[in-house]
Amino acid sequence: MIAVKDVWKSFKLTRQQRKEKGNLTRDGKVDAVAGISFTCQPGRIFTLIGPNGAGKTTTLRMIATLLKPDSGTVEVSGFDTVKHPLKVKNRLGFLTGTTKLYERLTAEELVRYYAELQGMDPSSFRKRKDELFTLLDMHGFASWRISKLSSGMRQKVSIARTIVHDPEVVVFDEPTVGLDVITAKNIIELIRKCKDEGKTVIFSTHIMGEVSLLSDDMALIHRGKLLYDGTYKDFLNRMKAESLEEEFIRLIQEVRP
Amino acid sequence: MKKIVIIFKKELKDILRDRRTIIFMVAIPLLVFPVLISIASGMIMSKAKEAQEKTLQIGLLTYGSASGFRQMLLDREDVALQEDLDQEQGISHVKQGDLDALIVFDKEFDRNVGARSQGKVKLYMKVTEEGEIERKRVLDFLREFEKTLLARRFQDMDLDESIIKTIDIEEQNLATAKERLAEAVGGFLPYLFIIFCFTGSMYPAIDLAAGEKERGTLETLLTSPVDRFQILMGKFGVVVLTGVFSALVAMLGLYVGIRRMTEIPPELLNTIMSILEVKSILILLSLLLPLSIFFAGILLSLSIYARSYKEAQSIISPLMFVVIIPAFIGLLPGFELTMSTAFIPILNVSLATKAIIAETITLPLLLTVYVSLIAFAIVSIYFCSKIYGRESAIFR
Repeated sequence: MIAVKDVWKSFKLTRQQRKEKGNLTRDGKVDAVAGISFTCQPGRIFTLIGPNGAGKTTTLRMIATLLKPDSGTVEVSGFDTVKHPLKVKNRLGFLTGTTKLYERLTAEELVRYYAELQGMDPSSFRKRKDELFTLLDMHGFASWRISKLSSGMRQKVSIARTIVHDPEVVVFDEPTVGLDVITAKNIIELIRKCKDEGKTVIFSTHIMGEVSLLSDDMALIHRGKLLYDGTYKDFLNRMKAESLEEEFIRLIQEVRP
Repeated sequence: MKKIVIIFKKELKDILRDRRTIIFMVAIPLLVFPVLISIASGMIMSKAKEAQEKTLQIGLLTYGSASGFRQMLLDREDVALQEDLDQEQGISHVKQGDLDALIVFDKEFDRNVGARSQGKVKLYMKVTEEGEIERKRVLDFLREFEKTLLARRFQDMDLDESIIKTIDIEEQNLATAKERLAEAVGGFLPYLFIIFCFTGSMYPAIDLAAGEKERGTLETLLTSPVDRFQILMGKFGVVVLTGVFSALVAMLGLYVGIRRMTEIPPELLNTIMSILEVKSILILLSLLLPLSIFFAGILLSLSIYARSYKEAQSIISPLMFVVIIPAFIGLLPGFELTMSTAFIPILNVSLATKAIIAETITLPLLLTVYVSLIAFAIVSIYFCSKIYGRESAIFR
């Protein structure tokens, strides 16, 4: 489970950014996330949607312990991300669309590295590796260096790396961005599989097709604030526009100054 | 600790597969000395041999005097005399390089020498560093001639030549061969391995911090259950190791280069080899280790702060001068390891190495150097861990 409670996070702007934002900033800072709260349940997929710069990545980075909230709390599987970051990381898998891999390692070396960091012993790793490499059809290129792999193969390695320790919670930050249709389909299947296995899944996207395909629960974030938090079904029921895209645009435009 | 070892092993494997690192860490330090030494010694020897063996073109104007000198030159096979010229022409030929020297005897030379006063000789040469051997050869001809004149004068006066020597100086240099070598080249050795220690750790530091950030792999590493200090220590270990290894490879290269030199006198070779013995290497290594930690701390801090590989390179490259200056000061004569200089990092390593080579180092001074280096190393680790813990530096 993920519990985000009244979380705030601001960033200091560069001189150039301060010039561009003008009066919107306070003390040369901007609120990337401004007092958001939501909960993600195990066995359900929580979709975080919002335009670019809405605060999606900052929120997910706080869940993944990469950033500390200025105030409020984030809990993953009952552990506070600031007080117990290692316990959180042990239970978490994190995959982004921009995730890169160590080019000079082989696919197997790379997955083993993350498994070792997760504290897996060699026999558990071997078993899990066989399982994952069969599932993802990776045996053919297990000993190839990452630099020699196609983007589809790389994405498979990324997936294996993310779930090698069988995490309870999986965070996907725009995982299909820039991927071809077939590779993106693999990711969608992985997200579904995680749900079927009872994991807590949160993923961010601005592709409405993915929202309708996967969401059980969803939140719409804009300028660091939640405009909607509830089930996907409820969102559809309350919709005033004809389509998901139009409703998304309508809600965003409503808060424009 | 286990996590640090996992990260260390992975980073080492990763860095050893990087061609650029191998070139800077192994190939350059290993090859630079043998190649430089063989090129430099080969060139010097061939130039010297050429200057020693060449037939000297000498213009000679005696105006009827110094017939003995003229005959002496005529008898030599390595001299070609030109006498059918005047002084102006001779000077012009020397300037153009057609003549190696023009020797002009005073018209009154024989008369003055006969009257037991000085006979004047003018020597025109174009002397640069390169022409020093030719100058020495021509002067030797004149000194040989002077000796014959002097011997004749003493004979005429019925005197023993030793009468002009009132003091018999017996000079005994009590400086050991190692001390003399330390003074002459002692600063050069630490200068080189300090530089190689720095350059050897520079590229791994950039690659492991700024490179990882740029490649987008840092984010996933930070979501693994390892705290940032452990990640830093794993990377730190690799940077320190590459720095020390690079410096040791440079020393090995120097050893190989010296062994390959055939012209080096055996006494000097023995002294150099005794410096490169296990005990001295271990002491140097004990200085090199904290120095390398100090370098790693600075390099990783700057590299973590940089957004990209390129930015890290542009920040770190000027730092090379900061390293070179104190290392260079150690090369200068007159600078010695004292309680004050022992506290200045880099300079203290340079001066301590000189003292180790000369076997004049004292334990209190050596300990002061260690204390200083370890203190700076700890400060650099602390500083680096602070930067690595800052969100604004990691996600800059």
